[in-house]
Amino acid sequence: MSTAEQDRRLIWKGATTASTAKPSGNTGRIYIPDRILGWIIPVSVLLAWELLARLRILPSNWLPAPTVVGQTTYQLALTGDLLKHVGITTARVAVGFLLGASAGTLFGGVTGYLPVARKLLDPSLQALRSVPSIAWVPLFLLWLGIHETSKIALISLGALFPVYLNLSVAMRQVDPKLLEVGKLYRLSGFQMVCRLILPAVLPEYIVGLRSGLGLAWMFVVAAELLGASSGIGYLMVDGEMTGRAAVILASVILFAVFGKATDWMMNAVGRRLLGHRAG
Amino acid sequence: MVNNGFDQRGTVNIEIGHKTFSGSKGSLLALKDILLTINPGEFVCIVGGSGCGKTTLLRIIAGLETEYEGAVFLDGKKLIGTGLDRGVVFQEHRLLSWLTVHDNVGFGLAGRPPEERSKDIRHYIGLVGLDKFEYEYPHQLSGGMSQRVAIARALVGRPEVLLLDEPFASLDALTRMRMQQEILHIWEAERTTVVLVTHDIEEAVYLADRVVIMSPQPGTIRNILPVRLSRPRDRTDQAFVRVRRSVHDELFAPGEMPHLAPDNF
Repeated sequence: MSTAEQDRRLIWKGATTASTAKPSGNTGRIYIPDRILGWIIPVSVLLAWELLARLRILPSNWLPAPTVVGQTTYQLALTGDLLKHVGITTARVAVGFLLGASAGTLFGGVTGYLPVARKLLDPSLQALRSVPSIAWVPLFLLWLGIHETSKIALISLGALFPVYLNLSVAMRQVDPKLLEVGKLYRLSGFQMVCRLILPAVLPEYIVGLRSGLGLAWMFVVAAELLGASSGIGYLMVDGEMTGRAAVILASVILFAVFGKATDWMMNAVGRRLLGHRAG
Repeated sequence: MVNNGFDQRGTVNIEIGHKTFSGSKGSLLALKDILLTINPGEFVCIVGGSGCGKTTLLRIIAGLETEYEGAVFLDGKKLIGTGLDRGVVFQEHRLLSWLTVHDNVGFGLAGRPPEERSKDIRHYIGLVGLDKFEYEYPHQLSGGMSQRVAIARALVGRPEVLLLDEPFASLDALTRMRMQQEILHIWEAERTTVVLVTHDIEEAVYLADRVVIMSPQPGTIRNILPVRLSRPRDRTDQAFVRVRRSVHDELFAPGEMPHLAPDNF
């Protein structure tokens, strides 16, 4: 085996196992920890991008340098515009997600607990779910106007389905053997839901909430691109209209950062709630 | 027999005409003409092969099966549905993964004053020898420990009858033997009536005052054999082996098990 091959094997091993032990006493071998491995490509791309932009190989009105995008974001922050747009988008996501997740919880809970309700509601909800989200936009604008209501409605619709589906399916799949334990202690229907079914489905419910939140962020982009005078999506449209690629890129990054941040918070809450369970 | 006349609580009278399961492919007669009286404080084991209805019988006593012809009486009172007067342990521990050992044991005690509740929970956790694991979660426990928690949960409501459905079947052989000893200690401490369903002849002979032998299609009681051996019982003792063999002979008609000829048993 050649040295180069051994090196490759070591890097490969570092990427797939959680091993932190450094191979000792072997000089000339490359060892890269897992955490750093994932950063290699993005950092290289950023550096290359910066370099190509600085050398004016990339046209600045087409793909401005990362530092320029950073400066643009900073300037937006200084004027207070950034806070305003981020604030309004986050508020839309929050309200839309809360409404959608609540409706999803209600429908999911009812259809999961009562087979009759599932047979009655599930086909209709599944049919609605198969409509591509953006297809609702004209109708919502017509019905609810161009202001907040239509945006909130669209975001709610996005958040509703994953919450509904996950909760409904999970409730139907609660181990009947656990429900028998509840029966032994003569729990009422309400106690059965609170003390057995809801705790049992909590992991799947949190997964549903997380994907609902992800879809809420996706739908806020759609809503703001298609008619808004504020929000990160509006910032994007504005950047496009005025030919400022840096503003568009800054908006993309803002969506990514805030989407990831809320997902991280949701995940942290979920881990706290489920921390003591197996797996 | 333990019926000493001082404590008459825990008498079970079973009078089942028949129990059928109906499915899409027709109906199956699971139990037929089951007449059995279990005395207060008695340890009864029900043995039989799979499909003989022994689990169904236990589930009827527990109140989990309610569609059958006949009745089950506890201390003369007809049983309708489940109740805290009967504690149940299943083959699987059926613990709730999101609750600690303490809260799993106390699951059925909601509504009691917290202090009294905690005291009872601790008592039974102690009885099954898990004091050090009171605030652990089920996934941190071994199979045998989980089954101990399930036993504590079944006992904490101070039932008159403890019903166990193949409780040690999924444990390894050594743990199973330890648990068999343990359940005898618990039974001696609590003096409840115990009904244990098993397919393990040795387990039945080791534990029971009386062994109820069931045969399948339809599930009926073939015979009831008393085990007049003093405890602790020695599994290798000649008398033990004799009882074991008589249960075996009841369970299998001659010719059914050719490799276990009576001569070299």
